[in-house]
Amino acid sequence: MILPLLKGLILTLKRFFNPYAVVTMRYPEERPKLASRFRGLPELQIGKDGRERCIACGLCARVCPSQCIYVEGATDEATQRRYPKIYELDAFRCIFCGFCEEACPVRAVMLRDTFELSTDHSKAIFDKAQLMDYSRKRNITI
Amino acid sequence: MKTINIIIDDKPITVPEGTNIFQAALDNGIYIPGLCYHPRLSQFGGCRLCMVEVTERRTGHRFACAHPVSEGMMVKVNTPKVVRYRRSVMEYLLAHHELSCPTCDKSGECGLQDITHELSLAPSRFHAVRMNAPIVRDNPVLELNRNRCVLCGRCVSACKEIEGVGAIDFQKRGIQTYIGTAFDKPLECSFCGSCLSVCPTGSWQDRTFAFRGRAWELKKTQTICPYCAVGCTIILNTKSAPARLEEGMETVRRVTSDDRLGINEGNLCIKGRFGYGFIHAEERIKTPLLRKNGELCPVTWDEALGHVSERFQQIISEHGGRAIAGIGSEKGTNEDNYLFQKFCRSVLGTNTIDNLANMRSPSLNSLIYQSVTYGFTATSLREIEVANTLFFFGADVTEAHPVIGNMARKAVRMNGANLIVANVRRVTFRSAAKNDIRLQYSFGSQVEFIHALIKTILDEKLVDLKRVEQSADNLNELLSGLDNFSGENASQLTGIPPEAMRKAAAVLTKPGHCCIICGKDIEEDPLAEDIIKALMNLCALINAAYNTDTGYGKVSLLFSRSHNNTQGVNDMGVVPGFLPGYIDINDVSHKEKIERVWGTSLSSDIFQKESASIFDCALQGKLRGIYIMGANPVIHYPNGKEVLDALRKIDFLVVQDTFLTETARLANIVLPVVTFAEKEGTFTNMGMTVQRLNRAIQPVGDAKPDWQIICELARRMGSAYSYTSPKDILNEIESIVPIYSGINYDRLKRKEFYWVSSVLGRNKPIKYTFTRIRSKSLDVKRNTGFPLALLTGVSLNHQGAFSQHSKVLRSVAPACHVEINKKDAKEMNIQSGDTVVVESPQKKITLQAKVTDKVPDGVVFVSEDYEWIPVNLLRNGEYTFVKISRETG
Repeated sequence: MILPLLKGLILTLKRFFNPYAVVTMRYPEERPKLASRFRGLPELQIGKDGRERCIACGLCARVCPSQCIYVEGATDEATQRRYPKIYELDAFRCIFCGFCEEACPVRAVMLRDTFELSTDHSKAIFDKAQLMDYSRKRNITI
Repeated sequence: MKTINIIIDDKPITVPEGTNIFQAALDNGIYIPGLCYHPRLSQFGGCRLCMVEVTERRTGHRFACAHPVSEGMMVKVNTPKVVRYRRSVMEYLLAHHELSCPTCDKSGECGLQDITHELSLAPSRFHAVRMNAPIVRDNPVLELNRNRCVLCGRCVSACKEIEGVGAIDFQKRGIQTYIGTAFDKPLECSFCGSCLSVCPTGSWQDRTFAFRGRAWELKKTQTICPYCAVGCTIILNTKSAPARLEEGMETVRRVTSDDRLGINEGNLCIKGRFGYGFIHAEERIKTPLLRKNGELCPVTWDEALGHVSERFQQIISEHGGRAIAGIGSEKGTNEDNYLFQKFCRSVLGTNTIDNLANMRSPSLNSLIYQSVTYGFTATSLREIEVANTLFFFGADVTEAHPVIGNMARKAVRMNGANLIVANVRRVTFRSAAKNDIRLQYSFGSQVEFIHALIKTILDEKLVDLKRVEQSADNLNELLSGLDNFSGENASQLTGIPPEAMRKAAAVLTKPGHCCIICGKDIEEDPLAEDIIKALMNLCALINAAYNTDTGYGKVSLLFSRSHNNTQGVNDMGVVPGFLPGYIDINDVSHKEKIERVWGTSLSSDIFQKESASIFDCALQGKLRGIYIMGANPVIHYPNGKEVLDALRKIDFLVVQDTFLTETARLANIVLPVVTFAEKEGTFTNMGMTVQRLNRAIQPVGDAKPDWQIICELARRMGSAYSYTSPKDILNEIESIVPIYSGINYDRLKRKEFYWVSSVLGRNKPIKYTFTRIRSKSLDVKRNTGFPLALLTGVSLNHQGAFSQHSKVLRSVAPACHVEINKKDAKEMNIQSGDTVVVESPQKKITLQAKVTDKVPDGVVFVSEDYEWIPVNLLRNGEYTFVKISRETG
């Protein structure tokens, strides 16, 4: 009867003193190592021309199960191309399912590793500029 | 009609003879893929997708759209061979296709996309080069992207057959074929958008929509167009945005049409399809405005309505109710107008109410009602489509009522209808009629023209006079009146050769249904009453000859009305002479009923008709206040100066409108009202068809529907109305207005109400009595100083404040032109595009000249529908003469 208890305790103590088996981390001093397929905030990607890649097709808004995306298309006067005049994401509603990324025909929405999204009610809605800023900081153009 | 029984996919079907397999399947809910066939257009057979297998009778693989049904036919839509064929055709169609669905506005309602899904096509086996033709954007309305075109030819047929323009066609041949204009010139057409509505792919695009929504995001609300009097059913496509955005809750993104809905069968004109910009225009009045220290300042509804009721009560107590006048709206709903006249008559206690249509042509209402009782009036606009002869008298349908033009072309196409167009000007009306007679009578000779027609009919013995005598009284009066009126005489007066007159008379008296459309030029002529009476004589003459015992004639008359509810505002009794439903104001027997329903007693001086017009009264100092609901008399009354003087003279002016019009700028208080998109109610079109509006969006700003404002005013003035919706008002109209009895608000959702039919269903048409019209001495006195007669009329691209504030219409037609005959222009050394000064004894205005042979010499034409061009300031109510000079400096 006492043997299984000791067995368990040994395992516990092993883990307790093993520096390589630590599950918790000292966040935020220590940063987590995210999986390559981690789904963070859907970010708007920036194209080679420095503008948003998004063409305002509205498929992300359509496919979104929590209906957190609102897209308003318009014509760009200079190039006559379709672009999103408004692209808004309600971060409180987003469930990070990644459907928008999957639906996007031009790879303009990508869920990368942004997960630090704590905010209050007044800032819950991310507009186009904010969503693009994340990409801009990464300095990646597609 | 002979019917034929066939079986499609094991479903037995009965269809009329001559139907093709595609239409038969379509009517019975069986889907056959196809891109080029369209029920409203002639068969083309270009897309090759509608292949079916016929297994019984004429066996083999057939194209459904090109093959008529025959008795006992058995059709299989989806056999493996057919599907394989269809897939390969689609593969070819898609080989060069742009595949830009994510950015294409058609995506979601695209025929090509649907069939691709239906056949679950995989990526193409061909490695074809995608086309890269430049997108044609040569006008502000339509955009043509040839890369998406499948050459189905629908737009070509629609432009030719429906609109009669033929602006686009196939260019070049073989693999180089494309849709375009001749010599690739900029598109020059009426911009009706038929090409856009029939295009199965995204080749034609609406530039006013311009990526502002996706097909699946749009909510569609069926309602009635707010422009002309045809009353087309339009579909407002709205999209809702989150409330936090500037765009507001819900906005109208585009207007579409539906082939199956409304009297227009999916046809619209430029105003209806692209002129919706005013709904969200920045210039809309969003709060009530009150004049304080000479400036209109925004105030709350409470303050505004309090002020209005206070001032009205003050005027009533000091000068009596008759010191207030009311002007109803040609754009408002029947309910708004009914309530307006009820408010004026019962709460304000005045009968000095009127509307601008009645002021422009005072005799028209009683004449129209007379023609209804004689059974001449068309029961609906559909009578145009079934007519065998069409007679446009003084009507410029291409400009005024484009969709009536489409209906007429349908009559020509389907029934081989004959066409007579009689006008002072050489109006444009394109049709393929076999008998296409154009008559251009000289200015001011309309009565003589009709008399000449009657005389020709009598001389040529085209009607049986014995039968005429049986069905109408007083024929001798007509005959004796025309005794000393000879053919030569007539042709001298009217400028029409006798042969043309004979041809027209022969066509008019041909057996079959004849539809006469009496235009605005006639109705607003100073001699309108005589002309229309003469026209009714003509109708009776032709009618009687073919009359059967049913009492229904073969002639139907249609009177042009200018605005969407010009008919309704008169039906609702916003006129001094009639209570609602054309009941004479002096008819005291009806007073009791009205008093019982309204629950008030009307003062007896209500039942005295004021002989002078509202503006005369105001100038004479009889009026203290005027209440204007949705009208802009400063621009639309034929004598602009008189209105300005009158409105400046009175103490208190209330204007209820959507925009700050020229009239509203003079007001003491302006109340903002909603547009058609934001309210419910009913409109009555010029075919006397009552149709229902549906609300598509929330009111913009603080605007309210007219009826709510009137209810609120009535409550503040001590007689509360108990209406909660337009439905309650229509129920009261149903009970009190004889011509509208039987109307039901809920039923209107499904089916329109035809009041002429309902009147004729209850009362048999009365026997016609010919009247003798003595032609008055022509009022055409040309002054040497002012040699040119001024003719005003309508314009296709504009109508009132609505089009003025629609950016798209402004960009299509930015400037008002004065049309001058080539001969006159040469004498005055004026070229097209010159800036000229048009001067009448009253006023002068500066316009651009357009040299044309549309107007006869000695006449100039200016459209009065450009709201910002005050043409009426030139006029003085009668025939106006002007002189034109080049602008100096």
